[in-house]
Formats: sequence, structure tokens, C-alpha cells
Amino acid sequence: MRGAATLRHDWLMNAGSTTPAADSPVTAGRRRILARTRLDFWLDALLLVAYTLAYSLGFTGIATHEWLGIGLGVVLLVHLTLHWDWVIRTTRKLLRPGGRERFVWLVNLLLLLSMTLCIASGILISEVALPQLGITPPASSFWRQMHGTTATLTLILVPIHAALDWRWIVGVARRFAAWRPGRSR
Amino acid sequence: MKFLRHLTAVVLAVAVIVGLGMLWAHASGGTGPRQAPSPEMLLRLQHIKEQVKAGVIRVHSDNGFHLADTGNLIRTCEIEAALAAAVITASVVRRRRHRMRRTTARA
Repeated sequence: MRGAATLRHDWLMNAGSTTPAADSPVTAGRRRILARTRLDFWLDALLLVAYTLAYSLGFTGIATHEWLGIGLGVVLLVHLTLHWDWVIRTTRKLLRPGGRERFVWLVNLLLLLSMTLCIASGILISEVALPQLGITPPASSFWRQMHGTTATLTLILVPIHAALDWRWIVGVARRFAAWRPGRSR
Repeated sequence: MKFLRHLTAVVLAVAVIVGLGMLWAHASGGTGPRQAPSPEMLLRLQHIKEQVKAGVIRVHSDNGFHLADTGNLIRTCEIEAALAAAVITASVVRRRRHRMRRTTARA
């Protein structure tokens, strides 16, 4: 859940409040921007890789699939929390004209619904992970069907969600390529 | 503090979605016990068991990555890449059109 332009605005707004006294405001600001960008970038990459692996059940096997799914749920909560500002701001702006923001919001809402239901249903039909913890979930055909449908829907929505912010991804990747540790940028 | 507040909101939102899913399951009668398999299904299972014994179907232990089945992972990556490429292409075309329209309007 991210609007590239809004996030850029967030980084600038956050910069400078808790910086060391030795740094100039501009340098400190850049350093903070980089930290938040780095966190967003790697967390998003982790989510994408984890989902791709989790969807490939034939590759991972059921045990890895289930533990990955549970881990994905935790990382998803952090991802949503980090972008909750965007959710609130865009939801408030929904009535204003402007097609792209509304489309991104809709895709993100659908993704939230499908991924949440996918993970929840996955937990409810767990065959390895939860029994290992001594919990036997009440599996039913409804949740099995739900898991299959939402997993496919999520597979469609995840690349769309990522691609809608491709400029941000390319921009950050470029900055990473140019960035050397020890330099502020 | 802000993070905790947002996390609470997110957990609430997720709980609402899961709760609605539970209601849906309850309304459609999906939370009851599993149905007994039909005679046809039992016959099919017996056939699969025989195939496993004969080695026609290979079964591997389920405790790690099945590197032999990378085709499954590749297929997932292909689907994701194709969809992402379509969205990026549409975005580039849309932006180019928008820019051209602006240039024409200025001229």
C-alpha cells in the first residue's frame, strides 16, 4: 500500500527531528530518507519473494508453504502499518476526481481482502504447521476452496500492486546502485 | 507510539475481514464437519495408492525445497512477470499519450 509521490512527501516531512547535532539538516534528512526507503524497499521485496515461493507449493512442499504463509501474515501486518498513513489519506480523497489514485486504492483494497482471507484460510486448513504447535484446526471444504480462490486472486493482484509503483522501485534501485556505505547518498 | 496506533488499526481491519469471512463460511454452512468421501473417490484413492506402490507416482518427503520441481516456481514467476509487464506497458503508454496531449495543447 503505497503512493510513490505521497511517500516521498512523507520522507521529507519526517526528516530532521532526531538527527545528531554534528550533521547538517540536509545530510541528516537524506540519511533518514534513506533508512525509511531502505526499509520499505526490502520489506516489499521480501513480501514479493515470500509470496512467490509460498504460491509455488510444488517447489516448497507443504511444511515450508505453511510456515512461509504464517511469516507472510506477520510481514503483511508490518507493511500495512508502515503505509497506514497512505490508506487514511487516500480514503479521504476518494470522492475527489482523479482516476489513478482511486484505481490504486481499489487494487490495494482487493489485495488486502484476498491476501488476508488467503492467509486466514491457509491457517484454518493447516496440515503441518498448526498440528506441530499442538493445534488442530477445524478444516472444511469451504476454507479449502477459499484458500485456492484467494491465492489465485492474490497472484494476479501482487504483480499489479508492485507494477503500479514501478517508477518508485526503479528510482530506489538506481539510488541503491549509486549508493555506497559511509556516504549519505 | 504512532506505529502502535497504526498497528492496532491494521489488526482491527484484518480482524474485521477475517470475521466477515467466518460469517460467510457460517452462512454457507462451510464450517461443519467434513463429508465422508464418496465411493468413487475411495476407488480413486485406492488406485493412487497402487500407483504410489508401483512407483508410477513418486512421493517425496515434505521437509524442504523440492529443487526438482523448479518448474512450479518458474511458472509462478512467469505469471507475475507477465502481469507486471502488462501494467508497466499500460502505464508507459498512458503517460506518453498524456505528455503528447499536453505538448499539442501548448502548441
